[in-house]
Amino acid sequence: MTPQLSWYLALSAVLFTIGVVGVMVKRNVISMFMCIELMLNAVNLTFVAFSSFFRDLSGQLFVFIVMTVAAAEAAVGLGIIIAIFRNRESLDVDDASSLRL
Amino acid sequence: MVAQRNPLYSAISLIGVFISLACLYVTLAAPFIAAVQVIVYAGAIMVLVVFVIMLLNVEIAERPMRLRALVPIAVMLAAVLFAEAVFMIYFVQASPATPTRNISDVGLTRSIGEGLFTTYLLPFEITSILLLMAIVGAMTLARTGGLLSSRAAVVPGDQVFAKEMLNRQKYIDDLTPVTTHSTEEARGLLGVEDQDRSPKA
Repeated sequence: MTPQLSWYLALSAVLFTIGVVGVMVKRNVISMFMCIELMLNAVNLTFVAFSSFFRDLSGQLFVFIVMTVAAAEAAVGLGIIIAIFRNRESLDVDDASSLRL
Repeated sequence: MVAQRNPLYSAISLIGVFISLACLYVTLAAPFIAAVQVIVYAGAIMVLVVFVIMLLNVEIAERPMRLRALVPIAVMLAAVLFAEAVFMIYFVQASPATPTRNISDVGLTRSIGEGLFTTYLLPFEITSILLLMAIVGAMTLARTGGLLSSRAAVVPGDQVFAKEMLNRQKYIDDLTPVTTHSTEEARGLLGVEDQDRSPKA
């Protein structure tokens, strides 16, 4: 039995849902950040699955660009996390409730 | 990964997820994406995340669960979502003609490189600009205090400073430059700690 396209899509949906639940449930900023990465990866899996099953290159190029964006987001996001931690001595998102740093 | 309390365990589970995804990419005939997944995600990004977790080293505080009243509603909504998913998977399986896969060169490094540098040249360049912006942003965020570093040198004698470069609390709303006549005065204005820069005898 060869793998179907829908299997990959279902796995991707499950991963994305886990990421969404994590962002909503977690209070630690770093955990929320990792859940966002998980969601990005779920979408990447969809892209690669479609690209492979329809033999179209664009999906994989888009995955490449998504990965670059994720790397940039990681650099800036972790910088923001460190700046917030310096100011508030806490990683809890409930403590960072005002826009003023 | 979400069930872990400790963010470090969560990060390690996430690395496992990324490597499993890389294996899936290999089975999907996308070896280049699989390699980039391992190198960029499991390598670079997760190293950065683990580094920050270790650097900040926060104790995990147990907190009472709020919104306990909403749990039954959440379970009900989850059941609805699950039913929808089963419904969709059933109909996808029942529908005919999923495309068959042949051997092709899609996903090899060569074809991806050709695509990146011909059809998708503009997005590629925009991505490079985005990375440059990320570098500048990360540096700006990592910098503390004013525009000068805390170890900026102060030379003896008269010197002129722009007000923007000095301690900000003192000179809000005033942009005329300041002249100092001694090293101590300049140190005080700049907020530089007194350190011995005189050559060793």
